[in-house]
Amino acid sequence: MRILGPLYMAFCAVLLALPIAVVCGAALNGGRSMFFPPRDPTLARFGEFFVSEPVWTQALLNSVVVAVGAATLAVLLAWPVAYLLWSTGSKLSRTLAALGSMPFAVPPIVFGVGLGFFWGFLGGLGTIWAGVVSHAVLLMALPLVTISIGLQSIDRSHLDAAATMGATESVTFRTVILPQTIPYTISGFFFVLVLSFNEFIVMFFVSASGFATVTLQIFNSLRNGYTPTMAVAAITFIGVSVLVFSAVARWGDLPRLMGADQSRN
Amino acid sequence: MTAVERIAADTADRPARERLTPRRILPWLLSAVIGVLCVVPFLLVIAISFGRKIEGAAWVWDFTLENYERFFVGALWPDEVTFLYLQQLGFSFWYAVVASLLAVMTALPFTLLLTGLSRRAQAAWLAFILSSLSLSEVFIVMGWDILLSNNSGLPALFKSTGLTQWLKDVGWFQTLRDWGLASPRNVKFKTSQFATILTMSYLVWPYAVILLFPALSRLDRSQSEAARTMGAGGWTVARTVILPAIRLPLFGSTLLLFVFLLGTYVAVTVFAAPAQHTTAVAIYTNIRGANLNAPFGATQAVILLISAGVCLGLGHRLNRWAEAR
Repeated sequence: MRILGPLYMAFCAVLLALPIAVVCGAALNGGRSMFFPPRDPTLARFGEFFVSEPVWTQALLNSVVVAVGAATLAVLLAWPVAYLLWSTGSKLSRTLAALGSMPFAVPPIVFGVGLGFFWGFLGGLGTIWAGVVSHAVLLMALPLVTISIGLQSIDRSHLDAAATMGATESVTFRTVILPQTIPYTISGFFFVLVLSFNEFIVMFFVSASGFATVTLQIFNSLRNGYTPTMAVAAITFIGVSVLVFSAVARWGDLPRLMGADQSRN
Repeated sequence: MTAVERIAADTADRPARERLTPRRILPWLLSAVIGVLCVVPFLLVIAISFGRKIEGAAWVWDFTLENYERFFVGALWPDEVTFLYLQQLGFSFWYAVVASLLAVMTALPFTLLLTGLSRRAQAAWLAFILSSLSLSEVFIVMGWDILLSNNSGLPALFKSTGLTQWLKDVGWFQTLRDWGLASPRNVKFKTSQFATILTMSYLVWPYAVILLFPALSRLDRSQSEAARTMGAGGWTVARTVILPAIRLPLFGSTLLLFVFLLGTYVAVTVFAAPAQHTTAVAIYTNIRGANLNAPFGATQAVILLISAGVCLGLGHRLNRWAEAR
């Protein structure tokens, strides 16, 4: 059992990394087709992806715009809801939190279809700002959760102390509540950023071929067969995810965010 | 009275009471924004599912049950009954059930081991798992596609290492052929249910870990230790102490993963044979693809939504029940 445990964990890690490793290896191919192990290894594909191929550079730019925009908007939407939920706990705030999490909870294809119709009527179908708003709404549930966890971690006696010392609500908010919840807000922001970067199906319906993000571009090229350039895109995305979550793990409390028991260390 | 309420009461006593303060506007503004963005799209899907397609044109608003009728008994009912769409829904359920069960069953021992590690090690593992969780369905399918495709990847590996020949020699090759996992010459994983379910299971495996993590990390370890001191083996402990304690979160997580997988699109289009495609694929074909029948696509989406809603409600209730105990 002593050996079996770590062995099983290692096995899971290898299996989890296997397709990722294969994609990374395939990016080094010299030719136009994907082979694993790579033939005639070269780094030329990286140049194509980041610099010379307009299809990919435009897609990358779109992805970044959508992800950053959606993450900002999602945090701005989630903050007041989480704050209302925490400070009042009213029925309205609970309803708002539930409705705000709904798009994330149901199969994304259904929400994608709905947004397709929605933007169709509003005239936003195929525009990038519709993509930004769509992702913000879809992923709002994540900062909602992280910010709520952050707010719950505030010691209520601090608030009482602030109130006894005559702090107004806005002062308390600025000096007590905001500083303590900033790490959680940032975690929420990055969760949305990474998931938006990788999201496919909702953007598939909302973009209506009007613009392409990297994931869409990869899916579009899927029928023509894979090219090593697509693998470079995959590597970039994996790199960003690993970077972001390592940062959250390093500076935030990842086990706590994931709901670990606080009493044990 | 909490501090916040006290502060709120203080502010409310001031003359500013009658003015429209941000505090008063905010809830209404939020309700409006969330109502429009989170609820209206779903209402649209439901409304359009009762619409009617016009041959050779788009569709019009209507209130007809034709689409639902078509879904359950086929377009030619009552002269002829076909269950094509129900069958697609069946495949959605089948893939999702098997893949989510597989994911939870393999993630459970892993998560159990994970919660036993130090806090630092946990954070590192969680970062790794979250990275793979956030990885796009498109990339995952691409990776497995390279691994499972016939010219490169595993079948080529099987052939070059002589494993294919060995399978033929011991007679297992025929079994694989019967399962649809081999062509006359070599093993073949595309297209197959095996590849579809494997990829889908891989897709939600990190989610399974993340969902099981809170419940398992709150598990009272002293109980299993007590059982061990009393001479119970590892397997007995798992069966009689750990499993009963996490029965409900386990079931709840499986349900959530199942709901998530109901809508899988990319994995099914790439790995499943066209005759075994799911409702999600049909939704796309109707709304954006070849059929251009938005109302019928919406109907299928509503049915998927109802299935998901029922499962989510059930899972939610189970989780609350588990917490209450």
